[in-house]
Amino acid sequence: MAIHEKTLIDADRLITSDKLVVDGVDVSGHWNTMILPRTLKDYDDDFETKIKTYSGAENVHRCWQCGSCTNSCTMYAQNTDFNPRYWIYLVRLGLKDEILKDKDIIWQCVSCNKCTNICPKDVRPEGVMKALAHWIEEEGYGSKSNSSIFDEEFTRQCLERGRIEDSEVMSNFFKNSKQDMMQMALHGWLGIFVARMNKWTELRQGNVFRFLSRTPIMHSLHMGLSMFIKPKTKSWGRTGDVLKQYVKEQKELAHG
Amino acid sequence: MSDTVLVVGAGPTGLSAAAGVASIGKKVILVEKEAVLGGAPILSGYAKLVPSGEWAKDAIGRMVKRVEDNANVTIHKSTKVVKVEGEAGNFTVTLSNGQSANVGSIILGTGFTHFDSINKPEWGFGTYEDVLTTTQMEQMVSSGKIACPSDGRVPERVAILLCVGSRDRQIGREWCSKICCTVSTNLAMEIKEISPQTDVFIYYMDIRTFGLYEDKFYWKSQEEYKTKFVKARIAEVTKSADNRLLVKGEDTLVKRPIVIPMDIVVHAIGMDPSEENPELAKVFGIGLEKHGFVEKGEQYTSSFSSTRRGIYVGGAALGPEDIDTSISHGLAMAMRAVGDMNALVQKAA
Ligand SMILES: Cc1cc2nc3c(=O)[nH]c(=O)nc-3n(C[C@H](O)[C@H](O)[C@H](O)COP(=O)(O)OP(=O)(O)OC[C@H]3O[C@@H](n4cnc5c(N)ncnc54)[C@H](O)[C@@H]3O)c2cc1C
Ligand code: SF4
Ligand code: SF4
Ligand code: SF4
Repeated sequence: MAIHEKTLIDADRLITSDKLVVDGVDVSGHWNTMILPRTLKDYDDDFETKIKTYSGAENVHRCWQCGSCTNSCTMYAQNTDFNPRYWIYLVRLGLKDEILKDKDIIWQCVSCNKCTNICPKDVRPEGVMKALAHWIEEEGYGSKSNSSIFDEEFTRQCLERGRIEDSEVMSNFFKNSKQDMMQMALHGWLGIFVARMNKWTELRQGNVFRFLSRTPIMHSLHMGLSMFIKPKTKSWGRTGDVLKQYVKEQKELAHG
Repeated sequence: MSDTVLVVGAGPTGLSAAAGVASIGKKVILVEKEAVLGGAPILSGYAKLVPSGEWAKDAIGRMVKRVEDNANVTIHKSTKVVKVEGEAGNFTVTLSNGQSANVGSIILGTGFTHFDSINKPEWGFGTYEDVLTTTQMEQMVSSGKIACPSDGRVPERVAILLCVGSRDRQIGREWCSKICCTVSTNLAMEIKEISPQTDVFIYYMDIRTFGLYEDKFYWKSQEEYKTKFVKARIAEVTKSADNRLLVKGEDTLVKRPIVIPMDIVVHAIGMDPSEENPELAKVFGIGLEKHGFVEKGEQYTSSFSSTRRGIYVGGAALGPEDIDTSISHGLAMAMRAVGDMNALVQKAA
């Protein structure tokens, strides 16, 4: 049967193949879409134990699903997909895949601890939220925002060399955030960029060198160059390592 | 040596113990701190009891009369025990009315204290007139008319919140009060019976209508009286613009927030350790367990003993208990009290 109400089905459960042969019959075309079953197949028995190793999540096994954390939650009031009770249930059963569906909102917990104050079993749901956010990050499930990718590259260069190379920051940022510079250029981005900088006038006025040196074309040349030449701040030495250690300690302090 | 038994507390437990001891032909001194006998069901005016369906004043009234009519029982109302000296078989007890007596054994049926809903302010008790406790609702049922205390209108909807003051670490109450699920399902049926246009909703985390109470109360209230069961622990009770109560929480099965208008909200209050217990522990020289109820001795061969020889304890003094079980405790303690005294007499002879 053709699937009419695709909107009712989770997007990731709809599998569409270009060519599909079932039991030797070619069903490509109108019949090429399959729905993955929703049945849960197994529990990850170790998951709860794993989450309990994060400080603050030690009591997660106490939860009896009363819903008090959720109904008192600051974030739930903004977005009813933010549901600590539900995630705690998933942790207890080890339904990791279900948790990962919400990986982009779990970190939004504002640590107001309203949940902790109301929980009749003293589960400390706030600690569990923090643990989940850490786990998602540590396991590399989190998709990083472009701004944090930029920050990372920026920080990396600072710590390594005591200075940044603009063009290298840009080129690595585009690379790490999987933005294809050539594609962007072809889609007219470069043109718009140049227009914004109002450099076409320079060209029209015949200032070729000025035009070249002030446009992204020159910038690109610079980028190319910085692949090979990476100058450091004078006598940077171990400073970067010391800074790195400090940043690490501060982070640990903040996350308790 | 004395073969008189002192019974402290005239609730279902103490009344049953007194009748039991007297029926074996021994003398009983019954001491009750209140001016009336009958314990919680009478003092708080319960309506129809579970599971018998009899009015509390009739059922417990018969227990009171049986004891009052028994020549072997001497009753002291509005009285407490202030001093206990001696040992099993030969205690000297002093009463607050100045009298003293020599008794062989002591039976404690000192019961429990109702949870005070003021301790859970977010659920609106004490703030809104139409938020009541189960005991107040039972009194309304006894009066034969279901109406909102605020303006006398007949409620369209009543919400009963379970586990108020039970099963809650935040307020140091880590026990289940055992009877409130059954009492609440029964109350839902009583409300519907008197006021057929009222719909009753029960907000629960678990339903514990144990043993034979399952079909007689839980199923019956759902199937025959259309009580709705919602799996949610309520966050707060507030008031709407049109003066109804708003019950807020998360319906955990629908996974959606709820803000439902109600006309009356009932707290299914739990059973706390009696507020008398610290004093009782001192006067009688007995121990309390970690929640504050009276501590039991070894159960299997020294049933209903306290931590002091010759003093027995049963009923709701030991922990949340229903009336039927409390009555059995009373009889069992009568057996132990008289049996142990006989053994002491034989040993002395
Ligand atoms: C809302 C509610 C509804 C209930 N409905 C039912 C029901 O329908 N059916 C059912 O089976 N159970 C019901 N119960 C449970 C029932 O109330 C108890 O099982 C029962 O009251 C226990 O009897 P008891 O004698 O041990 O204690 P209590 O009834 O508490 O009696 C103790 C007595 O001892 C007296 N006392 C206390 N301290 C002293 C002292 N120091 N000196 C002298 N006297 C003292 C008290 O004044 C009291 O009279 C209900 C409980 C609640 C909270
Ligand atoms: S601490 Fe986090 S989970 Fe808890 S109530 Fe606040 S926002 Fe919600
Ligand atoms: S409040 Fe506590 S017990 Fe209730 S669902 Fe949340 S974590 Fe579980
Ligand atoms: S009997 Fe029911 S309402 Fe009472 S404390 Fe236990 S679970 Fe809660």
